[in-house]
Amino acid sequence: MSSAVIERRKAKTNKNDLHGWAFSAPFIIFFLLFLVWPILYGIYMSFTGQTLTGANNGLVGFANYAEAFGDPDMWRSLGNTVYFTVISTIPLVLIALGLAALVNMGLPAQWLWRFSFFAPFLLASTVVSLFFTWMYNPQLGIINEMLGNVGIAPVPWLNDPAVAMWSIVIATVWWTVGFNFLLYLAAMQNIPQQHYEAASIDGAGGWRQFFSITLPQLGPTTVLIVILQILASLKVFDQIYQITAGGPGGATRSIVQYVFETGFTGYRLGYSAAISFIFFALIMIVSVGQIFLNRKRSA
Amino acid sequence: MKPLPHHNSGLSRRQVLTGGAALLGGAFAATSLAGCGGTAAGAETLRFWHLLSGGDGIKMQAMIDRVNQATPDVNVVPTVLAWGTPYYTKLAMASAGGRPPEIAIMHASRIPGYAPGGLLDAWDMAEMEARGITEDSFAAPIWASGQLDGGVFSLALDSHPFIAMYNTDVAEQAGLLDGSGQMTEISDPDTFLEALREMQAVTGVHGLSYGFINDGAQMWRLFYTLYRQHNAEMVLEPGQSAQVDRDTAIDCLEFITTLLDDNIAAKSGDYGTAVAEFAGGGSGMFFTGVWELPTMQDAGIPFDAMTIPTLFGTPAAYADSHAFVLPHQNDLDEIRRSQAYDFVADILKGSISWAEAGHIPAYQPVVNSPEYSELQPQTNYADAAEIINYDPRAWFTGSGSDFQTFFAEHVQNVFLGREAPDTGWDAFVDRLDTLLAKPNPV
Repeated sequence: MSSAVIERRKAKTNKNDLHGWAFSAPFIIFFLLFLVWPILYGIYMSFTGQTLTGANNGLVGFANYAEAFGDPDMWRSLGNTVYFTVISTIPLVLIALGLAALVNMGLPAQWLWRFSFFAPFLLASTVVSLFFTWMYNPQLGIINEMLGNVGIAPVPWLNDPAVAMWSIVIATVWWTVGFNFLLYLAAMQNIPQQHYEAASIDGAGGWRQFFSITLPQLGPTTVLIVILQILASLKVFDQIYQITAGGPGGATRSIVQYVFETGFTGYRLGYSAAISFIFFALIMIVSVGQIFLNRKRSA
Repeated sequence: MKPLPHHNSGLSRRQVLTGGAALLGGAFAATSLAGCGGTAAGAETLRFWHLLSGGDGIKMQAMIDRVNQATPDVNVVPTVLAWGTPYYTKLAMASAGGRPPEIAIMHASRIPGYAPGGLLDAWDMAEMEARGITEDSFAAPIWASGQLDGGVFSLALDSHPFIAMYNTDVAEQAGLLDGSGQMTEISDPDTFLEALREMQAVTGVHGLSYGFINDGAQMWRLFYTLYRQHNAEMVLEPGQSAQVDRDTAIDCLEFITTLLDDNIAAKSGDYGTAVAEFAGGGSGMFFTGVWELPTMQDAGIPFDAMTIPTLFGTPAAYADSHAFVLPHQNDLDEIRRSQAYDFVADILKGSISWAEAGHIPAYQPVVNSPEYSELQPQTNYADAAEIINYDPRAWFTGSGSDFQTFFAEHVQNVFLGREAPDTGWDAFVDRLDTLLAKPNPV
């Protein structure tokens, strides 16, 4: 190959590179400005005593982290977040799977089911919160009214620390299960029909087919849904803030809400940055775990 | 067959992209021009933030409109944000960023969390005196609420105490009205409980409506009213532990649980339910803020209002004030600052219409006016202005603050009868001590 050709190729690659950068520039600029820079600045802030009013701006070393590790409210809200994640992820995966299986069975008016299960996901969190605040109302709420009609004692949905988180989970499941449902349904519809035909010829019944064909084929989708769901649940804030504001007695305060309160109503931005990086570390562990799991699967 | 249209007759992709970019640019230019529209019309725009919604918001808007009409060179543009945390976080952020509104309303109890950090500018009382507003224009406790470190940081529009409304029909049937049609004076807890039970017998539902579930402000209002009626103090000094009267606090909590027995009052009522219950005639008395007055007038029930009876010796009522503040400006525009003074003076002098919303005007000439003396039942609780108690002062206290959230967190279970008063109270004081031990961020 003559050097002239190489030169020309090089020039072309450079030009392509330039075009590539130009096209991704809008994204990269936003990414740097609104993600990378805030993260770096946040790390810096977590080592300062910075407050909203500008008092105590100096560096404090690891004092914020030390305080956070000894802060019972931090641990409690972190515990609440993990608790919510566990008790919300399980129904959000299982119910989505059940709904998808039902719809995929070939029920009549499939579009109507699909629409009904997915529609709540399109609502704003504020709307969902209002719905459930009213339905859970101890005196006027429809849920206790209906329970009363069948002779069940009223449940203090949002007032009992032991019940409140479950009430949030019920609202969350109703609101967001549609997304997981849609992922499952799409995956089910992608399972080749021949598998089922072959299985029927071999005499496998409906349940056998579900457990031996459908579920294994859904494996990768399940991993994806579980990971997405864990990450989404860990970030819970909106519906809790709007329905219970973290109550009763802090029983539903999530770590994100604690970060918000420490920073914006308690003014301690530096300390709140430290807490958010502790939380970030937790999310990193989950994400790394996911990568590790995926590797093992594909290996 | 007709030839296909010539390739160049349509728009090329490049032309479309260029045109689109030009349109976008034009749109940006247009919006930024529209941003200057206010000044182009000749009137100076004064940004005013407040947290008054519902009936209060409508009254405030009417007052602003009146001032705007009277002063054509100034156009006050209000921004209403949701009460509590959403409002205060945004106001603090705007002030910290140096571009806050020219004028804002805060609760007087929140001043200690804003003024020392430089988020607020002090009022120049010489300027205010030139507009006819002086220290003597305010009742003493209200004036004191705006003072901090020798500066005047807020000028109160009102005081809005926690009071008792009562259904006059129910009270009459229970034999609790005196000759003038007002509730007979009650000055000890046992008589009060007895009166509530008698009213319960009349309504058949409850004697008292009081909602507090998940509402720290409501729990605090009643608790602090009773606590101050014992003449007990609460002092919160950073760096020291909280100075409280533990025995009195526990007595107050015990008294409240006596009220919440599902007979006198609902065991676990929330705010909205309590409003609905009293408005529907389901109870004889209602513990609430004066701001619910218009709701009850609209409900059309026969009712009157008074300060909560002095059950423990010292007349006292929890209250707060909506107060005007000057958020700190990085680039102070003297003209606008002076217009802000004009605006506040005008609103204070016209605050008789604010009294219609139930609040007690802070500006004394209005309270002493003949128009005010005709307002019923406002005049029946106007004496509250002399016995009001604001939150104990600290950077974290005040209406809609974390302090009230913490109170709810530790005391709600006491109210609900799930926890002993001393357990809940001690946990709350522990929390205060933790906060007081931390460096003051303001």
